[in-house]
Amino acid sequence: MTGLDLLFFLFQQMMYFSMPLLIVALGGLFSERSGVVNIALEGIMVMGALAGVLFIFYMQNYTEFAGHLLLLAAVLVAGLAGLVYSLFHAYAAIHLKADQVISGTALNLASTPFAIFVGRLATTKVIGRTVQQIPFKNQFRIASVPLLGDLPLLGPMFFKNTYITSYLCLLLLIVSWVLLYKTRFGLRLRACGEHPQAADSVGINVYKMRYAGVLISGILGGIGGLVLVIPTSTNFNATVGGYGFLALAVLIFGQWNPLKVFAAAIFFGFMKTISASSSSVLFLAKLPISSEVYKMVPYIATLIVLIFSSQSSSAPQAAGQPYDQGER
Amino acid sequence: MGRKRISMFLKIALVLTLLGLVAACNQTPSTENGESEGTTTKFEIALVTDVGTIDDKSFNQGSWEGVVEYAEEHGKTYKYYQPASDSKDDLLASIDLAIEGGAEIIICPGFNFEVAIYEAQNTYPDIYFVLLDGEPHTEDWETFETNENVKPILYAEHEAGFLAGYATVLDGHRNLGFMGGQAVPAVVRFGYGFVQGADYAAEILGLEDNAIEVNYNYTGKFEATPEAQTMASGWYSAGTDVIFACGGALGDSVMAAAEATEKYVVGVDVDQSSESETVITSATKNLTKSVYDSLTEFYNEEFAGGATLIVDAKSVGVGIPMETSKFENFTQEDYDAIYAKLVDEEIEILTDMDADSPAELSTARTKVIVIE
Repeated sequence: MTGLDLLFFLFQQMMYFSMPLLIVALGGLFSERSGVVNIALEGIMVMGALAGVLFIFYMQNYTEFAGHLLLLAAVLVAGLAGLVYSLFHAYAAIHLKADQVISGTALNLASTPFAIFVGRLATTKVIGRTVQQIPFKNQFRIASVPLLGDLPLLGPMFFKNTYITSYLCLLLLIVSWVLLYKTRFGLRLRACGEHPQAADSVGINVYKMRYAGVLISGILGGIGGLVLVIPTSTNFNATVGGYGFLALAVLIFGQWNPLKVFAAAIFFGFMKTISASSSSVLFLAKLPISSEVYKMVPYIATLIVLIFSSQSSSAPQAAGQPYDQGER
Repeated sequence: MGRKRISMFLKIALVLTLLGLVAACNQTPSTENGESEGTTTKFEIALVTDVGTIDDKSFNQGSWEGVVEYAEEHGKTYKYYQPASDSKDDLLASIDLAIEGGAEIIICPGFNFEVAIYEAQNTYPDIYFVLLDGEPHTEDWETFETNENVKPILYAEHEAGFLAGYATVLDGHRNLGFMGGQAVPAVVRFGYGFVQGADYAAEILGLEDNAIEVNYNYTGKFEATPEAQTMASGWYSAGTDVIFACGGALGDSVMAAAEATEKYVVGVDVDQSSESETVITSATKNLTKSVYDSLTEFYNEEFAGGATLIVDAKSVGVGIPMETSKFENFTQEDYDAIYAKLVDEEIEILTDMDADSPAELSTARTKVIVIE
């Protein structure tokens, strides 16, 4: 592949990587901005993908419900599942003032076995065979968006071989930015992550704000899990392959700022695409660079960013510290 | 006071939810691990899984179905054990567990068991083992020894791969791909066979040199990953027509890519035509039959231990399922003809023992592009 076709291909594939990373990292952003470190994103993604795919699976087997509406409904289900799962983290981290890393790790570890179990139950009852993979028919790909797909250059880059969820993710990016920086809620949320004592002293309920932050991260994380699985497989196999952790790296690389997170997600997605497709990209295949190098680049870049930004990191000051009203 | 009570209530609710989760997960359907309800606590037939789970839709599952089929027909009790990892110690621990559970015969799918069984055959001379895809040997590969209580079964995967490659090219495809999970012997044999089958077909068709192109890669994982999907999409977009997806769940990624680009996939191990419309055929080895037959031998007291059984075209243990294949030009007669040639050993197919890389297979009409 050379020339324009190649460019189009890279862009289309990049969206499959970047959009889930973006939305999950945004979830992490809400949580950390409210003061709760959420490393349970991986587990939340698994639960979201599980619920979403399961919903699609049942609808495709028992009803006529299909098409983009089904996908959007599944997105809702996935978000809801993520919300419920993140409640565990919120309760442990906020109410019980537990160590947030431990509670997050526990949720990550619990998610995959649970997904395997549910997958087996569901497949046994519906298709009569016990398998842990939940199969789904991918009827959601948009070969070309009407009108927009015919645009020169931009059409094939952004409006062909795409999914409705990609645009939903971009919409959620805008909503997130507005919510964080243009509303009273956003200001309060950020205050709780920077200096909860000060926020409390002016009458903000820190506990409520932190619950809101974690639950929003649950919704976005759950949706992210589904968005990752749909274009890239024909089954959900109880895992999201470490993308929740990758999203945390995106969050750090993007310095807890939605627009920078967007740029970071694009960068990570692009490097992922390059490393996976270097074999079919002529000029890259000729370079004496192993595809493993491209795989490392995003992580090395994250480390470099950390080295330079550690002095003036824009990480929320109070992230990771349980808030105790009594200590004010 | 009220607040404390609510907090306590929430804590208890949380604990109950978590316990409920665990309890729910405990209600395994009774058929799944073969516990016939009632009093039996002994499991006569045991299977210890390889890497991956019992329902991987290929290797473990194919073997397990043989166990289930035999046991259900003959009223035997059966159970599977999943080792914590593929290390020798963990495999041996699972074997110990199976024997403690009352196993008389243990099915071990996967070459990972080679060293473990080399030891277990001496530790447990009264227990019988069926080793699929391997032969017992020491850790340093110096000594191979198979006792009377062990039946190793090897498959001629290169013949299955050969048939798939041959059929694909005869059907009209020229740009092929091979994506393997890891470069384990069975996967390598599938891949080498596929390349040589394609080349043989090119020779029959009288194509010129380098008329066939095969992209060749081991992804490193028997898993579906977005990366594998992108790699497959890249190949398809660059002109590849058919990819032989040789690595369990890896096939899901390749099928997703094929569906998006309207191209084709060759499945592996078992007939995978029901997985996706894009699967034109599958290179299969009949694990279920091997296990079933071994169990029959065992319970008829004819257990053929002590020597390796090679399952190949001669014993009709490898092939492609023609009934479910979606070929346009390749016919049943073509298949029978080439199959007969394999049975008569008219064609020499090189295996993992003969070449270190698919580029060394000296296939003049086929250009193999190895992608690291």
